[in-house]
Amino acid sequence: LKVNGLNLDYFAPREYIIGGTTLSGSKYLDKDVIIVLSKLTKGETIMLPGEATANAIKNLWAQGLFDDIKLNVSKINGDTVYFDIEVVELPRLSGLEFTGISKSQKTDIQEKLGDKVGKTIINDNLYNTTRAVITKFLYEKGYFYTKVDYKTKPDPNQENSMILQVNIDKGKRVKVQKIEFEGNKEFKSAKLRKYLKKTKQRAFYKIFGSGKFNKEKYEEDKLNFIAKLHEKGYRDAALISDSVYRYNDKTVGIKIKMYEGPKYYFGKISWVGNAKYPTDLLNKIFGIEPGEVFSEEKLEKKLRGSANGDDVSSLYLNDGYLTFNVDPVQTRIYGDTVDVEMRIYEGPKYTVNKVSVMGNTITNDRVVLREIRTKPGDYFSKEALIRGVREIGQLGNFDESKTNPVPKPNQDGTVDIVYHVEEKPSDQIELSGGFGGGRVIGTLGLTFNNFSLKNLFKGEAYRPLPKGDGQKLSLRGQTNGKYYQSYSFSFSEPWFGGKKPVSFGVSAFTSLQSNGLAKSNSQYYGIRLNGVSFSLGRKLKWPDNWFSLVHSINLNQYILNNYPGYLFSTGESYNLNITQEIARDSRNHHIFPTGGAYLRFTIQATPPYSLFNNVNYNTASDKQRYKFTEYHKWKFEAQFFETVVGKLVFKGQAQFGFLGSYNSAVGQSAFERFKLGGDGMQGFDFLQGSEIIAMRGYANNAVIPVGANPSIAQSSGSPIFTKYVMELRYPVINSQQATAFLTVFGEAGNTWNKFGDFNPFNVRRSAGIGAKIFLPIFGLLGIDYGHAFDRIPGVQDGGKQSFTFSIAQQLGGFN
Amino acid sequence: CKSRFEKLRLSNDVAKKYQEGIRLYNKKDYNKALILFEGLVQKYRGTAEAEDLNYYYAYTLYRLKDYTTARYKFKEFADTYPASKNAEECRYMGAYCYYLDSPKSSLDQENTYKAIDALQLFINLYPKSDRAKQAAQYIANLRDKLETKAFDNAKLYYDLGGYDITNYKSAVVALKNAQIEFPDIKYAEEMNLLIVKAQFMYAKNSYANRQEERFEQAIEYYNEFMEAYPDSKYAKEAKQLKQDSESGIVNAKKQLAENAAMIAKYKALEESDKKKKDTTTNKNLDNKTQK
Repeated sequence: LKVNGLNLDYFAPREYIIGGTTLSGSKYLDKDVIIVLSKLTKGETIMLPGEATANAIKNLWAQGLFDDIKLNVSKINGDTVYFDIEVVELPRLSGLEFTGISKSQKTDIQEKLGDKVGKTIINDNLYNTTRAVITKFLYEKGYFYTKVDYKTKPDPNQENSMILQVNIDKGKRVKVQKIEFEGNKEFKSAKLRKYLKKTKQRAFYKIFGSGKFNKEKYEEDKLNFIAKLHEKGYRDAALISDSVYRYNDKTVGIKIKMYEGPKYYFGKISWVGNAKYPTDLLNKIFGIEPGEVFSEEKLEKKLRGSANGDDVSSLYLNDGYLTFNVDPVQTRIYGDTVDVEMRIYEGPKYTVNKVSVMGNTITNDRVVLREIRTKPGDYFSKEALIRGVREIGQLGNFDESKTNPVPKPNQDGTVDIVYHVEEKPSDQIELSGGFGGGRVIGTLGLTFNNFSLKNLFKGEAYRPLPKGDGQKLSLRGQTNGKYYQSYSFSFSEPWFGGKKPVSFGVSAFTSLQSNGLAKSNSQYYGIRLNGVSFSLGRKLKWPDNWFSLVHSINLNQYILNNYPGYLFSTGESYNLNITQEIARDSRNHHIFPTGGAYLRFTIQATPPYSLFNNVNYNTASDKQRYKFTEYHKWKFEAQFFETVVGKLVFKGQAQFGFLGSYNSAVGQSAFERFKLGGDGMQGFDFLQGSEIIAMRGYANNAVIPVGANPSIAQSSGSPIFTKYVMELRYPVINSQQATAFLTVFGEAGNTWNKFGDFNPFNVRRSAGIGAKIFLPIFGLLGIDYGHAFDRIPGVQDGGKQSFTFSIAQQLGGFN
Repeated sequence: CKSRFEKLRLSNDVAKKYQEGIRLYNKKDYNKALILFEGLVQKYRGTAEAEDLNYYYAYTLYRLKDYTTARYKFKEFADTYPASKNAEECRYMGAYCYYLDSPKSSLDQENTYKAIDALQLFINLYPKSDRAKQAAQYIANLRDKLETKAFDNAKLYYDLGGYDITNYKSAVVALKNAQIEFPDIKYAEEMNLLIVKAQFMYAKNSYANRQEERFEQAIEYYNEFMEAYPDSKYAKEAKQLKQDSESGIVNAKKQLAENAAMIAKYKALEESDKKKKDTTTNKNLDNKTQK
């Protein structure tokens, strides 16, 4: 503190009255406000030297607006003191721009730098911290030689503000030249290198990510590396030291010094504290015998962690023992043997008390609550908890990865469970337009997966649509003017009446294909198809609660007007059928299952008109013959999913379909046949009511029966088919926004005209690779490259087609 | 060619922007006013005009029905300018925004709880304010909503009983829980009757050997109900349930007795069968020993 010509004695402070405060050096800031902030208010009494002056500087400094602040006493007049605050204003930082790094790195760096924009001034300190943060960040990603430059430019939109431009030259990522180990006896270095999952030596044959060094991942690897050794029975194994050294300009070397220690085995395994279950049963479930290689990971897995619930903890947790705990204590270690004592705390058997849902900002409570399997008054069960989470996921309205049940035990042996959910967008929209054949083709499809019919006429429920009851409504229209028009509507309610898990569905459609002339024109021809169907579905509790049963009634009407190239040219045909479907679905995820199975058996039948309509089918006109279609149709499908290793999933699938007739005089139905091959998408073929089955590697409808007339068989389809698929799937993205996976597949399938010819092993085969992506708003999109091994004689190009592209298929096809 | 508003928005004339913002606000053109206010808030930081600006800014958000941001701005205002003449109003508006953000009873009620806290805080801070009365009314409305939710969700289990009878048991637990959570819940009478009903349905659909105990429980719930509501309008219905429970017990006992008689009869038959067999084996043995 300087006073012109006066020295203030720090050892003899005395009271002064502030006579006034002035500000000098400020250019852009409001003087009065700064003086107010300094709290050196005129008329106040302060000690000088004292706290008030120190605080004044502190308060101003905290604003982060100045490079330098000086507090001067301009004059002292008896008991009155006058201050002058002298500041050096610095330009404020109004923006940060980065060049030379990717967008995601930019986001990460910005997060690490914190929110400096608008709050900091531009000075050396800012440069240095920014440089340090960036260099460290990139170093950890394997960029060892980063260069950082700066430029500032004035912000055109704001006074006294600068934008800091940071130019980053990342340089090349360093690679790992070699990894060496020291201290390993039993394990070969090559084997140990494999345990470092993300840090690999470079090698000429590694094309992708060939040995790039990433510090973060290397740190992770070191931990996993030791865990791996422990798992193999070397429970003393430890990392003594490691060093990453510069090998040359582009590469580093890694040296790891370790202690291997001896290999251990399980000795005596004993159980203490178990009252509910006998030791024999626990030993059986635990499954590790004395003499097996000692592994803490295996021990943990058998005690608590197995995925399918056959561990000791699950035994208790599924029976109400929520606070169950087991602590494996290594009681004695002699030689290479470890005795383990399992100390069990069983605790009380908990009863579920309150069950509630949190996070449902759109979906009504009851839609979620009715799917939950842990109900008030029941004993707590982990299995029921997990099943509830799966059922909530199946609703399709919530982000499955964020569905989280939290049990909170109470003092009185009851437990409250809160299911945390997070809504996700579940509506789908399909909008496409195109220009073809001199006509505009337009498609508009809307699917609302969480509709609320009862709020349809309540204005205030529209946000922007009535939602929250878990009902599904879809509307779709496609037209290219006079030539082709198709409109469909469907609605389904999963809990019809709200009291039982009985789903009700209704759908209707109409479509018209014609030559575009007026109906009165004598040249006019066209076909119209109308249909309506009702269905009732039920979840079953027997044989187990994965089963479901669906009954449906469908009526289709075909009206033909001079239509060429069909069974008959003018007239009407009706297909009235009832369908029974029984299915068992235990897949753990509906877009990318990693386990579980799906089985489905369907029977569809029409009334046997020929028994009672007195038509002589040998002499009847086509118009009469086809008036009422009659057939019975049987279909069976099985899929199963299994995780092979890591994220790699195997899918196996078998399908079989058979279309039969009641009466040989009537012959096999021309409708409802199977067309095998291609992308599996319903094109115009549905006009004949055919069922399209995808088979990659072959063209649409190309897989026809051996010896059949190709042109007839391709357009009519076949009454019998079978198809098998084996597929390996690897997820590339698995998030709420998108699911994408790569596949390698082998397919085999064939069609037959007569049951007598049917041979499930006489099949056409193909193999290939593909990619699928699921986007919540579009559905599934996929592209596959398949190679067909078997030529189909008589069909163009032997029936082969390498690429198949499929889009937005919600039903059939993809699975 | 840019509009006059665009030109102003891009200009650096903060004073003019401020004036125009207020003018637009008064003209109810809140969208445009918001654009100007958003830009100005940063620049007016640390100035005398900031107080009024923030007040208008919060109200603009409120008028645009962005209650989530508005309540944050109102609270920020009240925290920053506790001595302002508008502090009380903003504290109230912040709580009121929470109130407006509280969804219908069948959705997550996190905001409802927060609204109650915020309104209560207002009442505590300004107990004599005219607004405190209104705040208390809002709290009552919100409590009402929570009660409705508790009742609906408990009743759901009763409705689902037809498909799985253990849901009736869950209904009893859930209804009792709701009463513990909201001791003076307005649906209390209806809920008590529903407890009797649910317990009765549970007993009725149980196996015969469990029925007596469960019907007894239903009768106990009936007694509790009548004690609490001696002249309930549901008395007749409840009485019927009690009578049905009593006859249910009689029937169950009868059936169990019949079952027991059947089993006894069957056992006797088996016994006599065995005896016949035994005599033959004994005879054989006798023969053997005789030989």
